[in-house]
Amino acid sequence: MRKLVSMYTPRYVVAIVYMLQSTEYEVRPYLAWLRRVQDFTKVMYRRELHKTRPAMLLLVGLSLGMSLQVVLGVALIWVGYDSDRVVLTVIGTLAVATYPFVWAYGVVILLVIGRALVINPKQKRRIARSGRIFADHKGRKIAVAGSYGKTSMKELLVTVLSEGKHVAATPANKNVALSHAQFAEKLTGDEDIVILEYGEGRPGDVGHFAEVTKPNEAIITGIAPAHLDHYPSLEAAATDIFSVSTYVGDEHTYVNANSEGVASFLKSGMHAYSEKGALGWNVSAVEISIHGTSFRMHKGSQELVIESHLLGRHHVGPLAFVAAYANKQGLTKEQIEAGTKKTKPFEHRMEARNLHGAWLLDDTYNGNIDGMKAGLALLEELPAKRKIYVTPGLVDQGIETARVHSELGQAIARTKPDLVVLMDNSATTQIQQGLEHAGYEGKVQIEDRPLEFYNNLEHFVAAGDVIMLQNDWTDNYN
Amino acid sequence: MIGGMKTIAVIFGGRSTEHDVSIVTALASIIKPLELTKQYRVEPIYISKDGDWYWDQKLKNIDLYQSGEIEEFMRKAPKVHLLFDNGLTLVKSSQFAGRKQYKKIDVVFPAMHGTHGEDGELMGVLEMANVPYVGCGLAASAVAMDKVLSKQVTESAGIASTPWTWFYSSDLPRRHSEIMKEVEKLAYPIFVKPAHLGSSIGITRVESRDMLMNALEVAAHYDDKVIVEQGVANLIEVTLPIMGNEDPLPALLEQPMLHAEDFFDFETKYMQGGKKGGKKGGAEQGAQGYSKIPADIPKDLYDKAVKLGIDSYKAVGCSGIARIDMLIDGKSQQVMFNEINPLPGSLYSHNWKQAGVSGVDLVSRLVAYAEQRWQSRQKIATNFATNYLKQF
Repeated sequence: MRKLVSMYTPRYVVAIVYMLQSTEYEVRPYLAWLRRVQDFTKVMYRRELHKTRPAMLLLVGLSLGMSLQVVLGVALIWVGYDSDRVVLTVIGTLAVATYPFVWAYGVVILLVIGRALVINPKQKRRIARSGRIFADHKGRKIAVAGSYGKTSMKELLVTVLSEGKHVAATPANKNVALSHAQFAEKLTGDEDIVILEYGEGRPGDVGHFAEVTKPNEAIITGIAPAHLDHYPSLEAAATDIFSVSTYVGDEHTYVNANSEGVASFLKSGMHAYSEKGALGWNVSAVEISIHGTSFRMHKGSQELVIESHLLGRHHVGPLAFVAAYANKQGLTKEQIEAGTKKTKPFEHRMEARNLHGAWLLDDTYNGNIDGMKAGLALLEELPAKRKIYVTPGLVDQGIETARVHSELGQAIARTKPDLVVLMDNSATTQIQQGLEHAGYEGKVQIEDRPLEFYNNLEHFVAAGDVIMLQNDWTDNYN
Repeated sequence: MIGGMKTIAVIFGGRSTEHDVSIVTALASIIKPLELTKQYRVEPIYISKDGDWYWDQKLKNIDLYQSGEIEEFMRKAPKVHLLFDNGLTLVKSSQFAGRKQYKKIDVVFPAMHGTHGEDGELMGVLEMANVPYVGCGLAASAVAMDKVLSKQVTESAGIASTPWTWFYSSDLPRRHSEIMKEVEKLAYPIFVKPAHLGSSIGITRVESRDMLMNALEVAAHYDDKVIVEQGVANLIEVTLPIMGNEDPLPALLEQPMLHAEDFFDFETKYMQGGKKGGKKGGAEQGAQGYSKIPADIPKDLYDKAVKLGIDSYKAVGCSGIARIDMLIDGKSQQVMFNEINPLPGSLYSHNWKQAGVSGVDLVSRLVAYAEQRWQSRQKIATNFATNYLKQF
């Protein structure tokens, strides 16, 4: 009932455009959200509509369409009443009553037509042009693929390799064909190393990216359930990610062996790296604190002292790989050590912040089970008076959803935080079941207003606390 | 209780020079964390500067006071009445057909600073209603808010303080030379203070005789009692928030960052963010401005101050929460009681957080202390059968 009433409020049209924008104008997630909404007045919880050109065009178009339908309906009712033609009155009433449904679903047709006739052909031409740019580029091209850790690996490579090489990399988490094409247009051609992040979205994506960008080497950062709403299984996603190795060859493929998911795909010809070492270098003397990670690397008589502001044991493998790879590319010990010293947490990725003497570990961009376990391992390792773990759970886990959340609950229980704060959503019960299954005896707090909880964290914490915040659901997942 | 949630009335504002400070304490440090516990339904009660009582959910919004819209609100809103019906019930006229709206209160959380609230007056009303309330009781509040009485009580318990004297403001014109003579027994610099005011209002540091009369008149202008205290050489000023009933729990000893020749006036404390002393390394900004938490003093001196703080808390009969201010002669290592604050501004939550007690935890514990004290008071007999009336 609340849903129905909220469809006739003035903000309904804005909510529809906001939902389209939040789902990047993708039809399936938009329709799924549309079905899920309980109250359209509460859709815009986290943010407001970004007034971009497409959004404003849609807003005006939908507003006009809805208004016209209502005017037309009222006119038909009037004419029907005036001329005693019941049919016209009924049609008019239906027109007035159904305008929210007609336009919320009708807009999908517009999107499909617009994408097929205008957007897709334009993008295809741009991507084809970028293929030629990449083919002509003389620099070493490295593809970074994986279910998680891609952006971190790319940033690590840029930070360390830039100490001795001219490096270019795809910006932020721009990792699809169109963003590769935009990136290609900005290349000057004199880069020594070009790093490309591959974001798998649906089957065949990674192979297609490789064909266009023509990498020389590939790094696979890990396999875990992610984007499974578009892949039939985790295996299908892993197959897609590992398809890059058929393009560059096994001998030019580097794989994070700390990721459990890579085991059945790792071939003997590939180079595995882990917290034990990489490319013949051995890791020792690992130290983890709230301020960073340090360790030593040895290969024959050579030694590297690695110090980083990155937090957590799971960074040891990637850091060791990047240091070893930089050595392979001819960087000096001084350059490598200076580069790794500059590495620091990226925004919302295991980023430590002091609040009234408490340490907040902001890992709200973490969206996969391996990453969650890595964060939990860090929480377990750090000393604290009180440990608090906060999560809404994970999204895009597809058929793995129940299993992954139960696994997460059990992993949380093994870490034994004093307090677990869960956000009230579809994953809550599954995490709770995992907690119960593993015999968690601490306190569990369920928050029905996540944003209010995050905004008022200062009231919940005190000196000596360590609070791990993992993942955060945007409006379209609630 | 509504759906298992207790109803807590937070009372703030009031006829006090610290009216505005009280609003901030209530809204930021009490109501917000109470609501975040999700165990309490909070009913805000605002007392205007004229002493009128209002009860409305809108009163939880700081914008109402900052924008000045509170004046418009008070013109339209009905005033609240208190009903004592084996507890406390709020009553106000509804704007629809004059129907009355009732709200039974489970616990009261006073957030009043200064006169007509922190000084025991409000606690008297709440005692009459027999409702659990947070913080010090009537007697402890009255003693604590009277700097003369609190010195007399702590001194009688063997707690040291700096040499001091006092007089009634009304005596100043009549017994002028006698008072001056008494005051001049103290060594300069001396501090002249209104006996009942907090937030450093009306306080003057007097260096010499020519400044004295003016300082006495200023203090007498604000209060009916004036206290004059001798300054402490090699001064280290410290303050200790404490909570609890029979077994008080100290927070961390806090050292305001000010020079020996300086002191915080109201402007410095609340309007400039306490920047008079300047921010130094390791300093925290709290309700009192910048300070060191924990105080940077030797451990034995630290422990001595904590003990004196707890002794003072007990001597005055505090319960719930209070803050004890102490003066330390850095050279002789003597710790002296200075004054007691039965409702520290913003509950001193910045200090409690450093001590490991979050804002949510702090208000929850204070409510539990209030209920515990109320429960134990219910066991005290208030009836005694006599045949006095029959004999009359």
